[in-house]
Amino acid sequence: MSNLREVNRKMKVAKKIFKTVRDEGRTFVLEHEAKDIMASYGIPIPAYGTAVNANEAVEKAKEIGYPVVLKILSKDILHKSDAGGVKVNLKSDDEVRKSFNEIMENAKKYGVEKGVDVNLSRGVFISEFAEMGTEIIVGVTKDPQFGHAIMVGLGGIFVEVLKDVSFRLIPFTESDALEALTELKAYKILEGVRGEGPRDVDALVKIMLGISKMVQENPEITELDCNPSFVYEKGKGALVVDARILIEPSNESSTH
Amino acid sequence: MSCISTESIDVFFNAKSVAIYGASASQNSVGQAIVQNFIKPQYTGKVYAVNPKYSQILGVPCYPSLQDIEDPVDLVVVAVPARITPRVFEDIAAKGCKAAIIISGGFSETGPVGAELEDEVVAIANKHGIRIIGPNCVGVIDTQTHIDTFFLPEYRCGRPRPSNVANISLVSQSGAFAAAISDWTAELGLGISKLVSLGNKCDVDDDDLLCYLGNDPSTQVICFYTEGYDPMKGRTFFEMAEQVTKDKPVLVVKSGRGKRAAAAASSHTGSLAGSDRVADAAYHQSGVIRADNFEHMFDMAKALAMQPPAKGDRVLMVTNGGGLGVMTTDALEALELAIPSPSPELDARLHERLPSYCAVGNPIDVVGDTNSGRYNAVFDEAIKSGEYDMFVVGMLLQTPSLDMDVTNVISNHQRQSGIPFVVVSMGGGFTTKAGEIMELMGVPTYTTGEKAAVAAKALAKYGEIKYGKEFNRTLTNNKKD
Repeated sequence: MSNLREVNRKMKVAKKIFKTVRDEGRTFVLEHEAKDIMASYGIPIPAYGTAVNANEAVEKAKEIGYPVVLKILSKDILHKSDAGGVKVNLKSDDEVRKSFNEIMENAKKYGVEKGVDVNLSRGVFISEFAEMGTEIIVGVTKDPQFGHAIMVGLGGIFVEVLKDVSFRLIPFTESDALEALTELKAYKILEGVRGEGPRDVDALVKIMLGISKMVQENPEITELDCNPSFVYEKGKGALVVDARILIEPSNESSTH
Repeated sequence: MSCISTESIDVFFNAKSVAIYGASASQNSVGQAIVQNFIKPQYTGKVYAVNPKYSQILGVPCYPSLQDIEDPVDLVVVAVPARITPRVFEDIAAKGCKAAIIISGGFSETGPVGAELEDEVVAIANKHGIRIIGPNCVGVIDTQTHIDTFFLPEYRCGRPRPSNVANISLVSQSGAFAAAISDWTAELGLGISKLVSLGNKCDVDDDDLLCYLGNDPSTQVICFYTEGYDPMKGRTFFEMAEQVTKDKPVLVVKSGRGKRAAAAASSHTGSLAGSDRVADAAYHQSGVIRADNFEHMFDMAKALAMQPPAKGDRVLMVTNGGGLGVMTTDALEALELAIPSPSPELDARLHERLPSYCAVGNPIDVVGDTNSGRYNAVFDEAIKSGEYDMFVVGMLLQTPSLDMDVTNVISNHQRQSGIPFVVVSMGGGFTTKAGEIMELMGVPTYTTGEKAAVAAKALAKYGEIKYGKEFNRTLTNNKKD
């Protein structure tokens, strides 16, 4: 029973967010929404919050602890960096205040350039500036013939240049997840090379399984990118630093 | 997804009476070629022709409609122009037949008008519980019941035969490939149970056949050729395959490694995916073995049909020719099979039983002047040692000293140990005959080391699928250097 209730609770978090997304005519899920969903599935993410003005941003930053990252939160801006909407490694109240204002200015300018009336009422997403780890990309695609599949690979050149990624259909088992990782040419890096200790592969497998469950219970998700994610030394876990979720438009909503 | 009833599919292979709708008296026509298949003495069921123009065709009684036939008809082969098929299906329904193969083209493959016609036919069939293979296909061949709807004359397109050892069944979306497979496997002498061409898959599809063949006692290995799946049909195939592959090997050749799907995707993951990489993952996850091409598929299928799967990845190569040994172990290594040297104990025992000039290692070279006795000694010791999961045997028969008893030695050791064996025998007429004998004794035989290595790899791969964690994998992706 308690298990069922747990499933319901998680699904409720996701469903409620998806409803908001659709009500606003979006198919992309904002970062804090994505993080709320992921948190409900036990996927590790850096501490985060939102702030609608500079004072609130400073307050949240103190709660989270420096350094922090600020990112624009707007239904009108999908690519945040392009709009000058990302400020990283902020170490003080002053830096946060200054960055908040800059982000708002940049977003307005971006709106003017693009001829869009950018909604700024949601302010910013603010989160702990995660310590750099081994960069991992985990993603989900919905294949027209096979349905949902997870993709995993090491970030940077491994994905960009070498296309060194592997896939598994969702849902998959723990051993499928592990096998998908060992298939990577870059798996040796996770095992530890050039004097570095092995990475926390178990934590990465847990993230993959959390995503599998999340997609299985929310089949309206059409695409998901956790890019980057960081995996740390064995025993020190892993974090999904940035997450992007797209869902089906409401007219083709799944009946699951 | 579960595999519930295979009864409605069984009639396509076991029909006791067949009617050919659109049977024709014109020579070299489709409607006549099919009648010719069914008047061969091997087919022991009843055959009827349906065509208002004739009273008999090649001696087969011909009726204006199915309803004019007094006895029941199990299977109807439809070879009439597409536009009149709805009328034909009304007749099939009225007669109470439950299975039809539509050979004719001119349906959904031609555009919206044809698609509408196909929908109309499917609607009639659904209403009356008629199963359909096709349209736009060559239908089925069953080598045991001699149901044969391929409209390709036998002198142009050979028909495969069943083997007493083990049989393969093949399902192809493409009719042209189905025909080529028939002709090709006939030539190769591969033991075949059933060939099916699915065409447009308006009703019976890959999942139905996978389920049916999974339960078919005369099929030991199931092979598919596909160009892709309808929306979400890849997923249902995956789910069905998960159930079948533990009991029976399933092989797939899939074309379309292209990147069409990638262009449409907006995210990073989507652009890297493309259906083919996802298909690859799906096959792997569900225990389906994907072959790069037909040649590989046949090489693998033959081994999987005749031999038990390997319980681990350790291969011993035994040969009477050094070059063949090196070439084959190169190929085995490239396919990531383990080729461990004998332990010092095994090494010592082999030295005791072999002349000093034989090379003991992996490969073991029993050299050119060998007789079957040295092979016997090697198998004897190597099997006892438990150090190997599979044997690849180079058997070069050009040398005068190698007696034909070697085939008995190989097949006896294989049977008694339950360890899979694969033989490589390169050469001309004499070698080919010997290879046929070897296969009659149940051990698959190949003409090159590379082909034998592909076969050995399939036996290891299927062992991994069947035995899961029990499979003794000594070599992993990350240990290979």
